[in-house]
Amino acid sequence: MLRGAHEGQLTAVTGALTAASVLCQVEPVGRWFEAFIKRRNINVSASFQELEDEKELSEESGDEELQLEEFPMLKTLDPKDWKNQDHYAVLGLGNIRYRATQKQIKAAHKSMVLKHHPDKRKAAGEQIGEGDNDYFTCITKAYEILSDPVKRRAFNSIDPTFDNSVPSKSEAKENFFEVFSPVFERNARWSNKKNVPKLGDANSSFEEVDAFYSFWYNFDSWREFSYLDEEEKEKAECRDERRWIEKQNRAARALRKKEEMNRIRILVDNAYSCDPRIKKFKEEEKAKKEAEKKAKVEAKRKEQEAKEKQRQAELEAARLAKEKEEEEVRQQALVAKKEKEIQKKAIKKERQKLRTTCKNWNYFSDNEADCVKMMEEVEKLCDRLELARIMLYIYFATQKEIEEINEQIRREKEEAEARMRQATKSSEKLTTGGGGGSKNWPEDDLQLLIKAVNLFPAGTNSRWEVIANYMNLHSTTGIKRTAKDVINKAKSLQKLDPHQKDDINKKAFDKFKKEHGVVPQMDSAAPSERFEGSPLDSSPWTTEEQKLLEQALKTYPVNTPERWEKIAAAVPGRSKKDCMKRYKVSFSYPELVEMVKAKKAAQEQVMNATKVKK
Amino acid sequence: MAAIGVHLGATCACAAVYKDGRADVVANDAGDRVTPAVVAFADNEEIVEKNGKLQYEIDNKLISPEDVAKLIFSKMKETAQSALGSDVNDVVITVPFDFGENQKNALGEAAAAAGFNVMRLIHEPSAALLAYGIGQDSPTGKSNVLVYKLGGASLSITILEVNSGMYRVLATNTDDGIGGVCFTEALAQHLAAEFQRSCKHDIRGNPRAMMKLMNSADVAKHSLSTLGSANCFVDSLYDGLDFDCNVSRARFELICSSLFTKCVEAIKKLLQQVAFTAEDINKVVLCGGSARIPKLQQLIKDIFPNVELLSSIPPDEVIPIGAAIEAGILLGKENPSLEEAALFIECSAKDILFKGVDETGADKFMVLFPSGTPLPARRQHTLHAPGNTSSVCLELYESLGKSPMNEENKFAQIVLQDLDKKEDGLHDILTVLTMKRDGSLHVTCTDQDTGKCEVITVEVAS
Repeated sequence: MLRGAHEGQLTAVTGALTAASVLCQVEPVGRWFEAFIKRRNINVSASFQELEDEKELSEESGDEELQLEEFPMLKTLDPKDWKNQDHYAVLGLGNIRYRATQKQIKAAHKSMVLKHHPDKRKAAGEQIGEGDNDYFTCITKAYEILSDPVKRRAFNSIDPTFDNSVPSKSEAKENFFEVFSPVFERNARWSNKKNVPKLGDANSSFEEVDAFYSFWYNFDSWREFSYLDEEEKEKAECRDERRWIEKQNRAARALRKKEEMNRIRILVDNAYSCDPRIKKFKEEEKAKKEAEKKAKVEAKRKEQEAKEKQRQAELEAARLAKEKEEEEVRQQALVAKKEKEIQKKAIKKERQKLRTTCKNWNYFSDNEADCVKMMEEVEKLCDRLELARIMLYIYFATQKEIEEINEQIRREKEEAEARMRQATKSSEKLTTGGGGGSKNWPEDDLQLLIKAVNLFPAGTNSRWEVIANYMNLHSTTGIKRTAKDVINKAKSLQKLDPHQKDDINKKAFDKFKKEHGVVPQMDSAAPSERFEGSPLDSSPWTTEEQKLLEQALKTYPVNTPERWEKIAAAVPGRSKKDCMKRYKVSFSYPELVEMVKAKKAAQEQVMNATKVKK
Repeated sequence: MAAIGVHLGATCACAAVYKDGRADVVANDAGDRVTPAVVAFADNEEIVEKNGKLQYEIDNKLISPEDVAKLIFSKMKETAQSALGSDVNDVVITVPFDFGENQKNALGEAAAAAGFNVMRLIHEPSAALLAYGIGQDSPTGKSNVLVYKLGGASLSITILEVNSGMYRVLATNTDDGIGGVCFTEALAQHLAAEFQRSCKHDIRGNPRAMMKLMNSADVAKHSLSTLGSANCFVDSLYDGLDFDCNVSRARFELICSSLFTKCVEAIKKLLQQVAFTAEDINKVVLCGGSARIPKLQQLIKDIFPNVELLSSIPPDEVIPIGAAIEAGILLGKENPSLEEAALFIECSAKDILFKGVDETGADKFMVLFPSGTPLPARRQHTLHAPGNTSSVCLELYESLGKSPMNEENKFAQIVLQDLDKKEDGLHDILTVLTMKRDGSLHVTCTDQDTGKCEVITVEVAS
């Protein structure tokens, strides 16, 4: 039992619920569990079942609501003119018409019969028409037509309330969808196929619009016009007449059907031509095509460009390759030329050498005539022979030289021996003479002695004997010396001032020079060239030269072409390089620095030269 | 359309079929409604039947429990199909509540191996509830049911909450140490003592003689459930001596009194565990063969004096019948198998009550929307108010369990004003409470006479 509310108490929520739902494990049994799971799976509320029940209920009540009021128009109906009556209206189904179910038609007819049956009305004291003339006939007829599916379809086809009109193009210019949507919707009822596509709206996709128009252009209508047949087959009296009637009817129906199809066709045509979406799609299509075309052209152009580029690249590559080749050829030619020059130079040098050698040796002959002849020969050789041959000749020449030298040495030896013999004779006389006995000591021996002394330094085991031995072994004079002699001589040599030593050395060198006159020349031949132009060679600048240089520098300013050549020309006896160097030195560094630098440069040059040699 | 429910217990198996809206236990080819869950492996044939008990031995063969279960299922299938006369494979199988996932799977596979199409495995206590159709008629209301199952080898007691036709296990306890076998054994021991007294032979060490006595005691035990006394007669029990003894029900109860106490104590313990009193239990369902024992039933009745003791269905058939009913419910379902998650459903956490007045004018709280109601749910009540008032106030409270109500628990009030006064009569107030899955509540109050209506929505505090 609830209590009454206090004064001023109102509906209110004073607080929230403190606990949310909790998860509980339930036993998976029973129909309520199944129902719950099913509900949960299809995600509907608890009232799902109830709603379904309600729905069923409402449908049933809906059927019952189809109650009919009084239809005053029924009384106005002419039973003779049943064909032109609206059967739905007669049965009170004017509001649902073709959508009425058979059940509804039956129910409507029943209630009509209950209300309008002549017997009932008679009992109510109403005036009844005679026989078929009573309006009840219309009800019967209406039911007859509507209860038969074929006849009902025939009647539906010519439904008098159906609007057959087709909107014209001009009507639909502004509001296409508003005008055409209802038209298509109401015509959709004639379709044999279910799920007639809707007109849609401005945002419909191309596929939808396409499907819509293809459906309507292939519209399959069940509408037929047998209801409008002029003649009634049943009225025919004989078979021939019936056939004739049938033919007439068929022709009429076909005509009407054609008209109907035409109507639909016009409708769809009008719609199609007015449809803004079609326009849009066409434009889009056009744009797309254009874009494609453009893209194609672009692609082609690009392709061509690429081709051109490739071709040019190839050409460039070929050109580069060619250039490179040429460069190589040129380099090779240069190298060859250089080599040739070098060879030429070498030949020249060798020729010169040959000539000199020949000359030195008086062309290996003594008399003038031979000399001249030889000279000619040598010249001829020099002209004709290759470098290698010349070198070979030189080699032969030197061989000859060596032989000659050997010969000379041999002769000298003989001479020396002869002299020695004399000397020994005299030395034997002078043995007690002590001292230097330098006469006993020819230069060769002295040299040998010095060499031996150096070879066996102090501290060597029985040094002087060894030296004496060595002397005896190596001496060319053939004089036998004892250790004592050697000591005496060595001591006397030591006592002698270094001047004498130098003298001896110098003498030795002179002798060597005399004997090997050609050799130093040969040696100096090769490096002489290399050291050519070495800054070491540059002699110091005289004041006159300096002055000249300064004058030249003034005369030829910096921007003069080939300035240094001209300057060099202005300073006699100085090369361009010398001038440049001097210029640098005199205007930037003191002479000493320049000298150091020059030295360094020389060293580097030597090193470079050795490297080159390697 | 027919389906089978199978209960496979530790000692016995029983099959029930569901056909034409009815579930009934089918008797096996020997005419027994319960088949011992025993498989005898003889030399060349496997026998599943009552006589198997004596032949129970596995000679040097290792047999997995699944194989045994499979053979028993095959037998059950045969039995059911011969009773139905048609090939039926759809089955619901019961399992003890304490079965783990692996055990369930093993049993399901065994059943599948036996040729069954297992639609679902359900727990024994819920099958027992289903057998009595508890909560199945109307999906409203809430009650607590105690399932007392004393099987052949175990005692299990389960308390379930029935809410909106759905069952929820609140507490359960299984004691494997006590079962029907204990009673038989106690009786057999008594008989042995009797034999010793009369023949001066102690046969307790003789297994063969003890087995004979056990069989005799078993028969006597069954008889004593219906008769006042039973005669135990064993031919040539020992040493050619016949044994004849009459056991009265009173004696049997005396012999087993300690066992009975044990059986009943378990109930009290479980009630304590969930803090329930005997009044909180609305129904007690008895199942398991030993629940037939009159003394036991009486002891249980003593604990629950005001509670209906459901034993109209033979207790050893309750569970298979429940299984068969479930099979009938699942029959024709496209996909009867369930995901584990489907078993967890949102329920309301608290009771929704309103404060009214009783006849004496004192405040009285009444539950409108009980806790544990599966959501979403709608509850509809027609409340009454004295006709001489022009306004009615519905005060809504929430509470958990039996905690006392105070003003803090009040969360809303609905006031209907300007009602037509009726001197002799009552205002009928239609109150509809709808709770969504998240726990938010929607209450509509409508006066049936004037059509005045008030609506509130209460959200859950976040």
